Amino acid sequence: MNMAEEMLSAEQLSAILIILPFAAAVICYLIRVSAIRSIVVLIAGTVLITSAVLLIPLTPFSLSPQPFFGVSIHVIVQALDFFLLLIILYFGFRHRHIAIKALALLQIIFLLYFEFFLIQDKPDTSALYCDHLTLVMVLIVSIVGSLICFQAIAYMKNHEEHLRLNRSRQPQFFFVMLLFLSAMNGLVLSNDMLIFYFFFELTTLCSFLLIAHDGTKEAVKNALRALWMNSLGGAAFILALVGIYRETGILELQRMIIYGNIDAGVYLLSMALLCFAAFTKSAQFPFQSWLLGAMVAPTPVSALLHSSTMVKVGVYLVLRLAPAMNGTFLSHCVAVFGAYAFLSAAALAVGQSNGKKVLAYSTISNLGLIFACAGLNSPQAIIAGILLIFFHAVIKALLFLCVGSIEQHIASRDIEDMRGLYATMALTALITVMGVIMMIMPPFGVLLSKWMAIEAAARNLYVVIMIALGSALTVMYWARWAGTLMSDPFAGRFKLERQPLLTWGALGALCLVAGLSSIAAPWLYVWFAVPALNAGYAAPFIVKRGVLENTTGAFAVFPLSMVAILGFVIAILAVKKAAGARIVAPYLSGIQTHAPGVFIGPKNLLVKAEAKNYYLASIFGEQRLTTWINLGAGVLLTLVVGGAL
Amino acid sequence: MTGTAVSIVIGLIGGPLLGGLVSGLDRILTARLQSRIGPPMWQPFYDVVKLWGKEKVVVNVWQAFCAYCYVAATAIALVLFFLKSDLLLILFTQAVGAVFLVVGALSSTSPFSQVGAHRELLQILSYEPLLVFVAVGIYLETGSFKIAGLDTWDEPLLMKLPFLFVVLGYALTIKLRKSPFDLSTSHHAHQELVKGLLTDYSGPFLALTEIGHWYETILLLGFCSLFWANNWIAMMILIVATYFMEVLIDNVSARMNWRWMLGYVWAMGLTLSLVNLIWLYVG
Amino acid sequence: MFKKLIQKARVKSPWLLHYDCSSCNGCDIEVLACLTPVYDIERFGIINVGNPMHADLLLVTGTVNYRNRKVLLNLHDQMPDPKLVVAIGSCALSGGIFREAYNVIGGVDKVIPVDVYVPGCPAKPEAIIDGVTLGLNVFTRSKEGRKTHAR
Repeated sequence: MNMAEEMLSAEQLSAILIILPFAAAVICYLIRVSAIRSIVVLIAGTVLITSAVLLIPLTPFSLSPQPFFGVSIHVIVQALDFFLLLIILYFGFRHRHIAIKALALLQIIFLLYFEFFLIQDKPDTSALYCDHLTLVMVLIVSIVGSLICFQAIAYMKNHEEHLRLNRSRQPQFFFVMLLFLSAMNGLVLSNDMLIFYFFFELTTLCSFLLIAHDGTKEAVKNALRALWMNSLGGAAFILALVGIYRETGILELQRMIIYGNIDAGVYLLSMALLCFAAFTKSAQFPFQSWLLGAMVAPTPVSALLHSSTMVKVGVYLVLRLAPAMNGTFLSHCVAVFGAYAFLSAAALAVGQSNGKKVLAYSTISNLGLIFACAGLNSPQAIIAGILLIFFHAVIKALLFLCVGSIEQHIASRDIEDMRGLYATMALTALITVMGVIMMIMPPFGVLLSKWMAIEAAARNLYVVIMIALGSALTVMYWARWAGTLMSDPFAGRFKLERQPLLTWGALGALCLVAGLSSIAAPWLYVWFAVPALNAGYAAPFIVKRGVLENTTGAFAVFPLSMVAILGFVIAILAVKKAAGARIVAPYLSGIQTHAPGVFIGPKNLLVKAEAKNYYLASIFGEQRLTTWINLGAGVLLTLVVGGAL
Repeated sequence: MTGTAVSIVIGLIGGPLLGGLVSGLDRILTARLQSRIGPPMWQPFYDVVKLWGKEKVVVNVWQAFCAYCYVAATAIALVLFFLKSDLLLILFTQAVGAVFLVVGALSSTSPFSQVGAHRELLQILSYEPLLVFVAVGIYLETGSFKIAGLDTWDEPLLMKLPFLFVVLGYALTIKLRKSPFDLSTSHHAHQELVKGLLTDYSGPFLALTEIGHWYETILLLGFCSLFWANNWIAMMILIVATYFMEVLIDNVSARMNWRWMLGYVWAMGLTLSLVNLIWLYVG
Repeated sequence: MFKKLIQKARVKSPWLLHYDCSSCNGCDIEVLACLTPVYDIERFGIINVGNPMHADLLLVTGTVNYRNRKVLLNLHDQMPDPKLVVAIGSCALSGGIFREAYNVIGGVDKVIPVDVYVPGCPAKPEAIIDGVTLGLNVFTRSKEGRKTHAR
C-alpha cells in the first residue's frame, strides 16, 4: 500500500478520478451483459474510493496536465465544450423548446466570442487545483457516489422488472451515471474557469438525460424544465466569465479569488452573475421547480444528483468565491437570500406528504443555509458551510436510498402509506429513523453545522431570525415522518426483511460513515475544514478533548457523543425489557379488538380508528405559498444582482 | 475536575428533586387559587413512585425507548446548564428530548396520541424560535453564548433584555403546559384528548415522562434565573414571581387552539424579540 | 424497604377512573362533587384520569346490564395492576330499585371483583371519600391478600 502511494502521483490520481469513470461508462454502454456491467461498476467505484482516499496526503496541489498526443488540454476541452452545447441545441430542436434553443445558442455565441476574439494568448495556467475544500467534494463524489451506484445495480434491476421492460435501458443509465461522476470530479478539481464551465454544462446534460430516463411524458417535461433552468445558469456563467476576463484578464479561479478589487463595477457584477448561476444549479427560489420535478427520476438519480453532488456545485462555487466578495453588499445579499431559501423551503416541506418532495425541499433548505454561511463570510460561517456540505450530502443520500427501497416495496412515496412500516420493513424503517435523527439532533454533524451557522449569524438579525424560524420548522416535518414510520401497533418482534445485499451494504456503509464522521467531527474540523480556509481567515475554534470551543461558544461533540451512545444502550436495554411487558391495544375509547386500531362501535359494528398527520396545507401548502415565496425570491435576487452595480 | 463532577451530580440528582418540589408547590398554589386545599407538598414524588411500581403495560415497545431518551436528553441538558456551557447547545439538547416524546406518542396508533403528538409538534414549532432569540439577545449583550460569565456580569440582564424576558415567559408557559397553551397534554384532568400526548404512556414510562418534565422545569427556571444572575436574592424573587404569574395565568385562561397559539406566539414573540434585539444591536 | 415506599406511594397517590354503567346520574353528581373545592379529594392525592391505563381506582356507579358489562370488563382489563374497585350507590351494589328489570344483571360484583361497597341512593360525598380511603388500605396488603380477577 505504501509503495502504491509513492507510485501514484497527484497527476495520476487526478487522471484516475476524472477519466476512469468515463472509461467505465463507455464499457457499460458497449458491453450489454448485466453481470459484467455490475462488476465494472463495482470495480470502478472501489478504485474511485481508493483514489480519493489516497489523495488526502497529497493535498494541496496544483498542476497542469501534459498535452494529450500533442494537443493541449485546453484545446480538447474547447472542442468538447462546443460539441456539448451543440448536443443541447439538438435536444432543444428535437423537443421544440424555445428557451433551450435560445439559451444554447446564446452560450455558443458567447463562447465563440470569448474563445476567438477575447482571449489573446493562453497563459500557462494551472488547469487543476486541489485544496481541502476540493478534497472534501472529491471524497463526497467518490465515496457517496460509488455507494449510490452500487445500490443502483440492485435498484435498477428491480425497477425494470416493475416496468416490465423488454429491452433493458440499464446500459444508458449507468453510462450517464458514471459519466456524471467523471464530470463532478473534473469540476471540483478544475482551476481554469473554461474547464469548470465545460464540466458545469456536462453535469447539466447528465441531469437532463437521467431525469428523462424513464421516457414518460412527465419525465421528459421535467427534464426539459431542468435543462432550460440550468442552461440559464450556464448562460449567466459564460457572461460572467466574459466580464471577468475583460476586466482583469484572469481565467484561473484561485487568482480570481485573490484579485481583491471589490468595488462595484463589472468585476463585482460578474461575481453576482456567478452567484446567479450557482442559485439555478442549486435549485434555489425561484428556480426550485426543476428539482421538485426531477423527483420523477429513479431514486439513485435523486440521491446522487439532486441531493449529494450536482446541487452542491452551486454552493461549492459560492463558498470558493466567498473570500472574493468579503465585505461587499453582494455578500450580505447572498446571506439574506440563503436564509430566506432556508426558511421558505422548510415551510413548504411542512405542507408535503410526498416523501421524495419532503426530501427535495429539505435539500433546497439546507443548500440555502450553506449559501447563507457563504454570504456571512466569517471564518466560522465558512467552516459551518463546509461541514454542512459534507454531512448533508452523506445523510441525504442515505435518506433517499431508504425512500427508494421503501418505494419499491410498498409502491408508494406518500408518508401516509409508510405508516407503521416497522411491521413490514423493520431494518429499513430503523435506518430511516436513524437518518432523520442524524439530520436534526445534536451531537450529529448537521446540527453541529447549524449551531455554528446560528452563532456566526448572530450579529445579522435578518439572517438569524430566518434561520431560527426555519430550524423549528425542520423539526416538525422530520419528527412527524420518524414517528409515522414507527407507528406500528403490538410492536414487539423485530423481523428482518429481505433486501438485496448491495442495498444493505450501501445503506449500512452510509450510516456508518455518517455516524463515525459525526463523532469525529472535531478532528474533521482540524484536518479538513480549517486548512480549507483561505489565508486571510483565522481558525474560529480550538479543539480541546473533542470539544469545539472559542470565546463565544462551545460544542462538546465527543463527550456528548459518548453520553449519547451510553443513553442509546440504556434505552435499547429498556426496550428489551419492555418486550416482556404486557402489550395492549392503544386506548380507543371503545372496546378494542385484536386487529390494530379497530374497535367495536355502535350496533356492534367494527370501526377502524384512523388518524392522519397534520400537513397544514391551508398554511404551508405548496399551492398556497409558492407564488408568494417566488415573488419574494425574485425581489431578493434582483437585489443580489443589481446591488453589485 | 471535582467542580465538573459536583455540577454533574447537582444536575442529575438535584434537578429532579427540585423539580418535584416545584411541581408540588405548583399544585398547592393552584389549589389555593381555586379555593381548595390541595395535595401535600411531596405529592409528585408519591405519584412517580406509585407509577414506577405499576405493572408494565405498553402499546409499542418503542415507547419505552422514547421515554428513556426523553429523560436522558433533558437530564443532559440540565447538566450542561450547571456546567455553564453554551446556551444554544443546551437548547438543542433539550429539543432532542421533546422530539423523542413526540415520536413515542406517534408510535401508538390511537388517534388521541396522534393528535396530541401533532399538537405537541406545533407547540415545539411555536416556542423553539423564541428560545433561540433569547439566546441571541444574551449574546448581543454579553458577547458570548456561554453562560459561564453571567454570574459576574455587572448589570442584571433583565434591565437590557426586558422584552426578551417576556418572550421567555411565552416559551415557559408553553413548556410548562399551562393554559392557554396546554393543548397537547396538561397536568389537570385533560378531558379533551384523554391525556393527549401521554395517553398511551403508562406505569413506569409515565413516571419517566414526569421526571423528564421536572428536569425541563428546572432548566427553564434556570433560563429565567440568568436574567438576574449576579444577586441570589433578586434571582429567587424573579423566579418565584415568574412562576406565580405562570400559575395565575394558567388559572384565569381557557385552553386555546393551535392556530391561535402559533399565530399569537409567533407574532408577539417576533415583534418583542425584534424590538429588543434591534435595541441591543444599535446600543 | 423500597417495597414499603411503593406501598406508601400507592396509598398516597390513587388515581381514579370513574365509569357510570347506566345510572340516573345521581351518584355521578355526588362523585363529581367530591372534586369541587367543598370536598377537594386532591388533598388525598386523588386525580380523576380519563384513561384506564393511568388509573389505580375504578369507581363504578349505576346498574350493570348486558350491554355495559363488556365495557366494564374492558376497562377493568385495561387497568394495570395493582388496582381497586369501588362500587358506589345501591344500584352498583346490587342493582338497587332496578334489580328486577329485564335487562339488569345486578351489582358490579357480578362482573368484576369489588373491594369497597359504598351504599346510598345517592351516596353522600363524605361516604364516598370514606369508602375510597378505607379501600386504599388494600394496597398495603401483600399480593396474596389481594383478590384476583374473576371472569
